[in-house]
Amino acid sequence: MSNQLLVLALLALPLAGFALTAAFGRLLMPRAWLIAVPAVILAWAVGMVLVYRTLSGQLGDGFAFTLYTWIPAGSFRVDVNFAVDNLTAALLIVVTTIGMLVHVYSIGYMAHDPGKWRFFAYLNFFMFSMLLLVLAGNYLLLFMAWELVGLSSYLLIGFWYQRRSAALAAKKAFLVNRVGDVGFSIGIWALWTTVGSLNFSDVFRVIPEKLAAGQLQPWMVTGIVLLLFCGAVGKSAQFPLHVWLPDAMEGPTPVSALIHAATMVNAGVYMVARSSPLFSLSSSAMVVVAAIGIFTALLAASIAFTQTDIKRVLAYSTLSQLGYMFAALGVGAYAAAIFHLMTHGFFKGLLFLDSGSVIHGVHDEQDMNRMGGLWRKMPITHATMLVGSLAIAGIPPLAGFFSKDEILGASFRNGFYVVWLIGVVVAGMTAFYMFRLMGKTFYGPSHVDPDVHPHEAPPSMTVPLILLAIPAALLGLAIGWPPEAGLVHRWLDPIFAPAEQTLGLHPEAFQVFGIDGVLVLVSVTLATAGLIVAVRLFGVRLPGRDVEPRPTIVEAGTARLRPLYVASYHKWWFDDVYHGLFFVIGGAVAQGAWWFDSHIIDGVVNGVGAVTTLAGRELRRIQTGRVQNYALGIALGLLVMAAGFLVATTR
Amino acid sequence: MSHSLDAYLILSALLFCVGMFGFLARRNAIAMLMSIELMLNAVNLTIVAFGAFVPALTVHASAIALMVISVAAGEATVGLAIVIAIFRNRRTPLVDEYDRMRE
Amino acid sequence: MSNALAGATVPALGWSWGDLLFLVLSGTMLAAALTVVVNRDIIRSGLAMIVAFAALAGIYVLLGAPLVAAAQVLIYIGAISVLVLFAIMLTQTKVGPIRLVFHHQAWAGAAAAVVLAAILIGVITGTDWPDAVAHQAHTATDALARLLFSDYVLPLEVVSVLLLAAVVGGVFLAKRDEPQGEER
Repeated sequence: MSNQLLVLALLALPLAGFALTAAFGRLLMPRAWLIAVPAVILAWAVGMVLVYRTLSGQLGDGFAFTLYTWIPAGSFRVDVNFAVDNLTAALLIVVTTIGMLVHVYSIGYMAHDPGKWRFFAYLNFFMFSMLLLVLAGNYLLLFMAWELVGLSSYLLIGFWYQRRSAALAAKKAFLVNRVGDVGFSIGIWALWTTVGSLNFSDVFRVIPEKLAAGQLQPWMVTGIVLLLFCGAVGKSAQFPLHVWLPDAMEGPTPVSALIHAATMVNAGVYMVARSSPLFSLSSSAMVVVAAIGIFTALLAASIAFTQTDIKRVLAYSTLSQLGYMFAALGVGAYAAAIFHLMTHGFFKGLLFLDSGSVIHGVHDEQDMNRMGGLWRKMPITHATMLVGSLAIAGIPPLAGFFSKDEILGASFRNGFYVVWLIGVVVAGMTAFYMFRLMGKTFYGPSHVDPDVHPHEAPPSMTVPLILLAIPAALLGLAIGWPPEAGLVHRWLDPIFAPAEQTLGLHPEAFQVFGIDGVLVLVSVTLATAGLIVAVRLFGVRLPGRDVEPRPTIVEAGTARLRPLYVASYHKWWFDDVYHGLFFVIGGAVAQGAWWFDSHIIDGVVNGVGAVTTLAGRELRRIQTGRVQNYALGIALGLLVMAAGFLVATTR
Repeated sequence: MSHSLDAYLILSALLFCVGMFGFLARRNAIAMLMSIELMLNAVNLTIVAFGAFVPALTVHASAIALMVISVAAGEATVGLAIVIAIFRNRRTPLVDEYDRMRE
Repeated sequence: MSNALAGATVPALGWSWGDLLFLVLSGTMLAAALTVVVNRDIIRSGLAMIVAFAALAGIYVLLGAPLVAAAQVLIYIGAISVLVLFAIMLTQTKVGPIRLVFHHQAWAGAAAAVVLAAILIGVITGTDWPDAVAHQAHTATDALARLLFSDYVLPLEVVSVLLLAAVVGGVFLAKRDEPQGEER
């Protein structure tokens, strides 16, 4: 198949799956997945062929093609065009693989849900939107796909719409995203007015040229990229728009794994990485990106310390890891950011699916205080989740170690010492809260409801877990070794070379026995320390080594650090502050506006209406309903016009 | 007189005015339709007269006049059918009793 | 025809035959048209309309447009007038001719017609038609036919479709209420 056909097939398969499942899914019940899952598996196969062709260098720098002209409005012309290069391919690996595994997993997870045909239709729709987002060749098409993934996210968070909390969470996610998207759309508009085209290749060529020629002020570029970044902040749930992601955990767990951990929330990272030629033009914007990223990483990690809902812990951990990625983008370590995106996609997807398996096993209980001792009852889930936790904690040689250390090393080498310092601390915190989660869920004394008998999940769920555990463990080694020169760098460095050149960065060889080795040692030490503290406090059971949890010490510790504990437990009161800002104050403003509207504006409108009604009632008298009266009117009007014309022309 | 364009145009204007008067004044729907036919004929006369006196229009005028006649035939068909349909409902051909449009 | 008569004059009056013919025809036509609009009896109005159409056909001949004259006779007299007469007969109420022929707004209509006539005549006589020639041309029928089937072929086809639509519409409107409906 030609490459263009591959791209189109990749998009068409999930779209067709969506259409067919939406149309006939009800008839397929109880096997509603019969169309949706094969469609995604086929899409995965197609995607892999495309990825292989791209990454093996058969296509050179990738390829782009135009399907048709989407908006031919005078000089405003936008095509539906696609661009495939190594960056796209890296994202395609994550999206198609995790997407496929999540689809398979959902067969088991959603087995008893009466509305699952809707679920699979939405999932397919999400796959289509996400692939479109990754493949899009211009900003407007990207934006459309961006909104489509937002829509499918909304639909899937609110999948159990009968639950008020789910419906509210869906609305919250949608509205918070709107805030960022306003900035994003203004940024796209600004790009259009300055460049006259929205194609990536045109934009990345013209903006630097105009900047160099002095037609564009540096502050304008900074403004444009910060507006684009607004969109990324919303979609990737960075501070201050991070509040929607934890609430989004109201959706079914496969959705949390696919959309809110592995793919959609990475869209912001992808967009910033894709726009690296623009971001690199503005060092102040880069600093903003790095600052917001690393701050979110710290903030989210601190909140994850005290949450008791297993999915919320993972959600805050996702925020924190996304923060790492933005920090990497901000310091200029683009390849490291995408590397972390890939590894994080796999291990976080794995962790979420594991948590889904746990929740499934203890009958829809999400509170970790009502779990414990599950390691013997759910051996596969336990083993895979252990792999995922070690990976995210950054323990070598698992995947997270490589990508996280590349980010930390790059921020140190590029002079962002504060970013490095916070990053290392967050790495330790990550290890701690992940093993707190493990301890509370699997090792500590059982607090499971006595009527509930935890059980291992069915094969359709455990097989994807095992399949995901492999890349979660080995992906870092496979594409990240040797450090700074692994496969991922060979793929992505050509893409980011222009941006790095603008920034004046020079790739340096990794010094195992130099500064880099020291940095790695520091971060691994901190991560291990966090891990050991968590294990000491919350226990572990491994072959040959059992550690009992020590709840008394935990309680004493929390009592001593009470203010911090409370702050973390209440998520630093962001929701309350936003509630105050937007509901109470905003509500009062809206009330005032409503009064103005109902009394002044409506008064004017109603006054006009009353006058019109009165006039109509009076003028109605001349409406006799007889045709000839009207005809006479026409004739007289004609006469007046003719006479007027005569007067005007003969003068 | 028969070689003057003005004479034909004045004749056409008079015919048109007669038709217009009929349309405005008659109560009978069919008489109104006949008045419309008179006005259409007046227009046709104008076209043919211009065709006769303006060399550039000679053949075209006849062609257009033929079109007008054909369209007038269609108009008469539909108009009379409407009159008959209304008549069947209201049992009267008098237009000033058709005032349902008032409501 | 008018060219053939152009030279000769009417013996008693000294007019050319063409002028005489024009006067007779136009007088007949206007009188018949007035009869159409003022006659109390609607059937007489219909008959007067036929006279007006016939006189107009004669004027078309005077203007050198024989094919239009033929069409006038065939379509207006042969088809439309007959249609109108049928319609009159179908809609005659048993009370006979309506006492009140005119609408109460007839005076306004008359005034409008007179004013319009005055304006039109003023305009016509006041305008110097720049392209007009003194002697009217004769329309060659073969040229007209060629034109109709070349430049005017699309309007011609559209008109034929329109006529078909009118026929279908007329049947539909007239038949709708009662299945036995009037034939036309």
